[in-house]
Amino acid sequence: MSERLAVPREWVLNAESEYRFELDPGTSVAIKLVRGQAEIFGAELVEGKTYFFYEECKAAIFTWQGCTIEITGQPSTEYISDETAMNAYGNIHLALEAMRIRALDRTKSNQPQGYGSDSQSSEPPRVLILGPENSGKTSLAKILLNYATRAAQDWCPMLVNVDPGEGASMLPGTISAAAIPAPLQTSTPAHRLGRAATTAPTHMTSNSLLPLAYWYGHAEVKRNPLLLDRLIRNLGENVWDRHEDDTQGRVSGVIIDTPSSFAANTGGNADHRQALIKACVDAFRINVILVVGHEKLNAEMQRTYAKHITVVKVPKSGGVVELDAPYRSRIHKYQMHSYFYGERFTLPPGMPSLTSAPAAAGYLVGGEQIMDFTLAPSSFVVPFGDLTMWRIGEETMAPSSALPIGATRVVSEMQPIQVDPSQAGSGLYNAVLALLASPNPDESERYDEEILDLHVVGFIVITNLDIPNKKMTVLAPTQTSLVGKTAIVGTFEWEE
Amino acid sequence: MSLYPQSQGYAQVGYAHAGPAYPPHQPPPQPSYYGVTQAMFYADPTHFRRDYTARLGQLTFNSRPHIQSLSMIAQDYTRYADIVVQCVEQHIRRAPPHTKLPAFYLLDAMSKNVFDPYARLFAPVVVRLFLDTYEVVDQATRHKMEEMLGTWRTGAPTGRQLFGVVAQQAIEREIWGGQSTQSVVRRLPVLSHRRPRSTRGKQNTSRPGQAPISTAQVLSELEFVLSSKERTLQVNPYDKQAATHVQILQQLRKVVQAGVPQDDLGQILTQLRTISPAAPTVAQAPPVVPISQPYPSSSSAAPYHYPTPVTLPSIPSASYPISPSYPPSNPVLPKAEPAEISSLTSVASAPVASTSTLPSVLPINVSSLFNKIMQTGVLSSSASSTPPGSRSATQREDSAAPSDTVELAKEYTNTVLTSAPKLTSVDILKHKPAVAQLLYSRLPGQCKQCGLRFPVDASGKKRLEEHLDMHFAQNRKASQANGRGYNRSWFVSIDDWLNDGIADPKGKRRAVGFKATVKGGAADEAAQRDAELRAMRVVVPPGDETKSFSCPICKEILKPEFNEDDEEWVWRNAVLKDERIYHATCHAEAMLSKTSLATRLKEETGRSRSQTPELLRSPARANLSLPGEPMKGGSPSPSKLVGSKRKVDAEGSVSSRDSPTPPMKKVALSAA
Repeated sequence: MSERLAVPREWVLNAESEYRFELDPGTSVAIKLVRGQAEIFGAELVEGKTYFFYEECKAAIFTWQGCTIEITGQPSTEYISDETAMNAYGNIHLALEAMRIRALDRTKSNQPQGYGSDSQSSEPPRVLILGPENSGKTSLAKILLNYATRAAQDWCPMLVNVDPGEGASMLPGTISAAAIPAPLQTSTPAHRLGRAATTAPTHMTSNSLLPLAYWYGHAEVKRNPLLLDRLIRNLGENVWDRHEDDTQGRVSGVIIDTPSSFAANTGGNADHRQALIKACVDAFRINVILVVGHEKLNAEMQRTYAKHITVVKVPKSGGVVELDAPYRSRIHKYQMHSYFYGERFTLPPGMPSLTSAPAAAGYLVGGEQIMDFTLAPSSFVVPFGDLTMWRIGEETMAPSSALPIGATRVVSEMQPIQVDPSQAGSGLYNAVLALLASPNPDESERYDEEILDLHVVGFIVITNLDIPNKKMTVLAPTQTSLVGKTAIVGTFEWEE
Repeated sequence: MSLYPQSQGYAQVGYAHAGPAYPPHQPPPQPSYYGVTQAMFYADPTHFRRDYTARLGQLTFNSRPHIQSLSMIAQDYTRYADIVVQCVEQHIRRAPPHTKLPAFYLLDAMSKNVFDPYARLFAPVVVRLFLDTYEVVDQATRHKMEEMLGTWRTGAPTGRQLFGVVAQQAIEREIWGGQSTQSVVRRLPVLSHRRPRSTRGKQNTSRPGQAPISTAQVLSELEFVLSSKERTLQVNPYDKQAATHVQILQQLRKVVQAGVPQDDLGQILTQLRTISPAAPTVAQAPPVVPISQPYPSSSSAAPYHYPTPVTLPSIPSASYPISPSYPPSNPVLPKAEPAEISSLTSVASAPVASTSTLPSVLPINVSSLFNKIMQTGVLSSSASSTPPGSRSATQREDSAAPSDTVELAKEYTNTVLTSAPKLTSVDILKHKPAVAQLLYSRLPGQCKQCGLRFPVDASGKKRLEEHLDMHFAQNRKASQANGRGYNRSWFVSIDDWLNDGIADPKGKRRAVGFKATVKGGAADEAAQRDAELRAMRVVVPPGDETKSFSCPICKEILKPEFNEDDEEWVWRNAVLKDERIYHATCHAEAMLSKTSLATRLKEETGRSRSQTPELLRSPARANLSLPGEPMKGGSPSPSKLVGSKRKVDAEGSVSSRDSPTPPMKKVALSAA
């Protein structure tokens, strides 16, 4: 069996069709473009290079003109489909591109940049993508971003991820914004939307993104919608600030990927859902809403926003895969591992290993040449007192609606509570904490809930608690001093 | 092709610039030799000398791993550079003729890859060494040496002569030029460097007393230009012009090998130097002027004649190592098989008047061939058009057509605006989008590394070039940083993030083309960059607080300061480069231009070491080699240093291309 797998198989794709594949855990696949032109979520493949996919990657190689690809390794599912939504996506890209060109034109001709509805026609695209679970929102965002970066117009669109379950170029639990200067690569679901910078040199700038992130701390939106609302508005304000001085960035526009719960139509949480969409629309001054494959939501959005915002119903790709909860938790593990230790994958059986393969084989992982993917994190022991740790709201927080009638919370959703590691049941063991930026140096400028508005500088995991000696072992991306630092714990845990 | 995996990236660095072809006698080096290198520890110079000599003794055949490991040691122990140089020189002199060449390759590798101090230290001895060796080796080896000599013309990181213009010309004169007669021009190479190129008419007038040009010399130069063109073509297979160049040069080679009169040889040589990608070579006055006594038009009269079977097959393009930034060549590579001469006319195409005058067999009227070549615009008529410093004929053409760019941009805008559908649920489903055209066929210039595409107009080519430079820099960094651990970076602070889009300090975001268009942005950027540079610092190695070091550029003494935050002595506004301390601002300015102070400084040191403040530097070299990493801000962790060092590199390399400000202006800026 395994010998047979080593033999590369060729697939011939007709124009406007795509080869879809899904991988099982622990397997990988190598794909080489033999002839023609092909792209993966909008990022072009280079002919003759071998691209690797791993960690249960589920992706599709699409071709506008037709191509031949060579597959080594055995995906759990693979097939060719000529029913794609790429025509619609391509048209959307063109429409957005026209908006960018008009916006740039207007900027160049020095007209005052107004943001009222009257100047709508020359506004750069600020796109909110909504859709139910498994509708391909993230893929659409990726395609639109990649097409923009490939236009050779020096666009540098802003990718905003407000889905705390996704993680984008960071870790789940965050919402983040990153300018995308080059096509986002696909190799593993751990980095569906680019990688955050490491100290290693990279060829693709999309593999060393510099995101700005806020820590929400939970995967589910419903857990603390008020906090998420506030963080979204913080993020929006910063994106806006940044674009004030950055014409090209502003003109390139913003594309926002949202959690599926924004589209969920189960009655109970309709309130927060509407509120969060509103938060996004306000914070990022959305002028285009794309609703992927959801008639009812489309109608609802039309009703609410159509006056000022273009609401477009977008077909869902036939290639979307149902993702279950165990899958998502495995992805989280991959993401954590990747954040601290870098990439880890095994080659498809029978392929020459990374070190022995000649460079002419053109091995690429996520667009990078084979190099040292391994990152060296740092584990060290610190006294409890070095690091101030907080939790936002109660540890186990029932939704407000679940409280007894008439009861109010003892602790509000937005209240930071300091966590004492020396107490049993602090919940810190194996917890993922977000290390925050330093607060305002000016004491008089500080306020109670300031830590809610501090962005993330990195993540740490507490791998051991030594309560008798008041010490804990911390895993950090690099050796650092934690003295005086602030960190927030969420509900994420990770064990190597 | 001979692109080695990243993990063995060291050798990629130097052989990037048209390194001589090291025939692959050996399989690709095993990664294990790093282990060997790192395991060595030399307690004292004597021990080092003994060991290095012993290792040199093993270099009896052309073995890439051997050369690499020896070169690695040399890089790691630059404090023993003098010893290395002595050892290599002695080895070359003592070795039997057939083992001299590998040692020369080692010399070549060290000088190119490590450059400083090796190129400087070898410069005084290399001329004699080369010529003495050249005398005793056989024809095939001589040819290899000539190839290597060709790469030295542009071997320095600055694109200049590896061992300085004096050494280069001295060698070339001896092996190619006449040995008895030396023109004034040649005796004063520095003068000749600035002398305007002689006009074509003047070259045609014969002058007595000049050395004849040998076919071998012309061939050697031809090969050099041809190989560089071939590389251009590999990088950008869509470059039709380069493809035409390659074909015509191949034709030319055939013709020259068959033998041409002296006059024509002279012309060819001049033309070759004009289109040669090496700027400094172009700038030199052609040292060759045809003589009155034309050689009989048979190649056998040339002093060094190579039987064609030797020269021709030794140049298949595949034997040239490609720089790491270029993707492994694809099958698009043109075959080096010489086509029929008659096919030249079809390549040279339309404007050629009398195609029939070209017979398919020899003898051939080279002048008329040349005229044709020039008519097709491959080789421009010598002195007139080429500005010194233009890197290739291709580029010259680019600058000639800026309107091209505007047109293309307009066309794109129009296409998008007209074909863009209305953004409604119905309209986006109606038509087939022109995406394939806009994202693929409109942008034929593709980077073979990452797949990004660029238009074919002038600005597109420039951007592709910059883009490839970026890859090259990344590869170099990757190979230099080999062995150091990587780690995830902390995310940037909010202030940095907010300003990242305007002036990206890393120069990584290549979406910067617009920056220049932002009014006032350039000044702000310069100010910010200056502030950043001034914030850089280098930690004073323990024990050196009281010693004085001066910036090699401005000669000012760097004063150590005590940094309260980190509790360390530091030099502010300082950067550690090649184990010398520079003012960060001075260094950045110097990096901005190839004709910069640093370049001149390097050349000066190459010529006469006594002039440079060697005394001041030498203690620094010994002490700083290990602990001193450049440091930025108060970054607390050693691993961050790695990142910040790269940052400087990136900035230097990028900015040197971005702003071709004249050096004078920069000096003023740094003084301000």
